[in-house]
Amino acid sequence: MNEFKSVESGRMGRVAYARIAPNEDLVLGIEKLCLAQGFNNAFVRGALGSLIDSGLEARDGSVIEIKGPAVEIVSLAGEVRSDENGTPCASLTGVVADPDGKVYGGPFVLGMNPICVTFEVTLEEWLPDSE
Amino acid sequence: MAPDTVMKGKQPRYLRQPGRFNPVRIKSVASPFGRHIRLLLQPGFSLYDAIVKPLASLNIRDASTTILGGAFENLDYCVAIPDPAKRTVIAYSNPRHAGHAYMVFGNATLGRSIEGKPLVHCHAVVRTEHGEVMGGHVVTESAIVGPKPISVLVTSLEGLELCQALDEETGIPLFQPVEASSHE
Repeated sequence: MNEFKSVESGRMGRVAYARIAPNEDLVLGIEKLCLAQGFNNAFVRGALGSLIDSGLEARDGSVIEIKGPAVEIVSLAGEVRSDENGTPCASLTGVVADPDGKVYGGPFVLGMNPICVTFEVTLEEWLPDSE
Repeated sequence: MAPDTVMKGKQPRYLRQPGRFNPVRIKSVASPFGRHIRLLLQPGFSLYDAIVKPLASLNIRDASTTILGGAFENLDYCVAIPDPAKRTVIAYSNPRHAGHAYMVFGNATLGRSIEGKPLVHCHAVVRTEHGEVMGGHVVTESAIVGPKPISVLVTSLEGLELCQALDEETGIPLFQPVEASSHE
């Protein structure tokens, strides 16, 4: 693990828009998108869509399950960082709404957020000056 | 390094969609850059017009936007529920009236409808006029911007088009990214 670095200078690069199809996982889908487009690092710039059910991580590491269908993604922020082998890892947090419109928030758990109808996402590539 | 968040809960549930599916599950298009614009939504305009018209004047027809929050004179939203007619897996509910609502945060995608007209797809967290915080799909034509302009960060999508098309798998018209047509 590198020592903690609180500042990273860089610039924005390419912009990718994707539509991710039903039953794909939200987190893995964004990581696959980065691999497909060759983005090592990226920020989520816009995202909306629906999930079958949603799994958000609680403070104790357990999964808060929000039952659908559908659970709408109403806010999503996050980034993707690649490790030294070029494997992307997405950290995504957001707010979802259940079929009654009630909202829940937290980090999206890998493998627990299958897309229901569609997920639209815009990623902006982040190019650190050090690379 | 071992992953730290793998399958802590139950297995996810999958749903069979009604139509034939495309084996390509992620359709993406990249452009070499995006233009960034700070847009102010004009009071009294619908959310639809307040996004579409100023961006059209900059020749932006496809964009991803972040609505940074603000008050609305009126706002209606839909939630996604199992389709009562069972033609699709889910359908939008009838609009719910949030009245003089405050949009806490929203994301809106600008593209083109099946008819080729501008289309804005917006999901947001809203505080209704009764003080409940709710989330859903905003009806952009009936959402009327309140007395103060609302800031929006726009990332234009250059060299690609977001075209609504009937999706065979889900049976629902959805945005699909395509390379920009050569005549533009």
